[in-house]
Amino acid sequence: MSKETTIWLVIVAVGAINYVARLSFIALFARRDIPPLLGRALKHVPAAMLTAIVVPAVVFVAPGVLRIDPGNAKLIAAVAALAVAAWRQNTTLTIVVGMAVLWLAQYALR
Amino acid sequence: MRRHFSRPAFFEGIRDMTPVLIGIVPFGMVCGIGALAAGVSPVAALAMSAIMFSGAAQIVASQLLAAGAPLMVIILSCLVVGLRFLVYSAAMAPYLRPLDHRWRNLLSFVLTDQAFAGTIQRFRDSDDLPANASYFLGGGLLLWTVWQVATLAGILVGQVIPPSWQLEFVVPLTFIAVLAPLLRDRVALLVAVVAGIAAIVLDDMPMRLSMICAGLIGISAGVVVDTVRGQHE
Repeated sequence: MSKETTIWLVIVAVGAINYVARLSFIALFARRDIPPLLGRALKHVPAAMLTAIVVPAVVFVAPGVLRIDPGNAKLIAAVAALAVAAWRQNTTLTIVVGMAVLWLAQYALR
Repeated sequence: MRRHFSRPAFFEGIRDMTPVLIGIVPFGMVCGIGALAAGVSPVAALAMSAIMFSGAAQIVASQLLAAGAPLMVIILSCLVVGLRFLVYSAAMAPYLRPLDHRWRNLLSFVLTDQAFAGTIQRFRDSDDLPANASYFLGGGLLLWTVWQVATLAGILVGQVIPPSWQLEFVVPLTFIAVLAPLLRDRVALLVAVVAGIAAIVLDDMPMRLSMICAGLIGISAGVVVDTVRGQHE
């Protein structure tokens, strides 16, 4: 099978899988009631899932290389961004401060 | 459809999603560049962005294709990466119930990490469903459109943004902006700490299973704490 054939099959299959996953519970619970335990669990989704995405993106400087120390510029930037976001709930300000601190820390740590 | 459409909220959704684009554009470009590097035609690279519409899955597919992995391995790996959409879908479900199926089908298509992060708080804070749904649609369609443009830009001009700028880091920063206010709640803070530690400990898991597992462990911790607290009250 050529690479081009393979990738088109992947596009169709994964496109369908992703759409079904995105629609799954939205369609299911449109017709039936949400079980109470699941309903309570769902309120924790943002804190759990967003942290599970953010933390590895910050503490691993390369695949498998964990750096939880001030020598990791991304960690310093993330802490600064967290402080700014807690102080002012403003996405743009968080991005600006986070990137500025990242670049400064990278420059300082060079 | 029209019954639930609010034009001002639609444009508000577009406006509020705009800062996120600083991170999305370089990420989309990398997806286009990565697909070409894996030996995919430009048309297929664009189709990946238009139909798969998931940077993480697109990167995984390109890497595995370049490594000569069999078709089923690529599909299975992308499926694992997409498991988080099940969780987002469940979290959005209670709010989208009263909408008609066309709205639900359309909003599901634009349900991504960024769209979820950017809109879930609004759904929790406000009961104005037409405004919330339109806000979600505005932000989601902006992300989809810019994702296609960014992929095309990556295909046409290649790596013009120096990787040393690390603009992709804007993506976690936008999630931090959403997370910070949530963490004032002590249970949410505990959920985040548990999920964060789990994400580090489980990082070695194959096929990037660590993210979804860490998320589910964090959610479970929250349910346990809620239950214990409930018994004491």
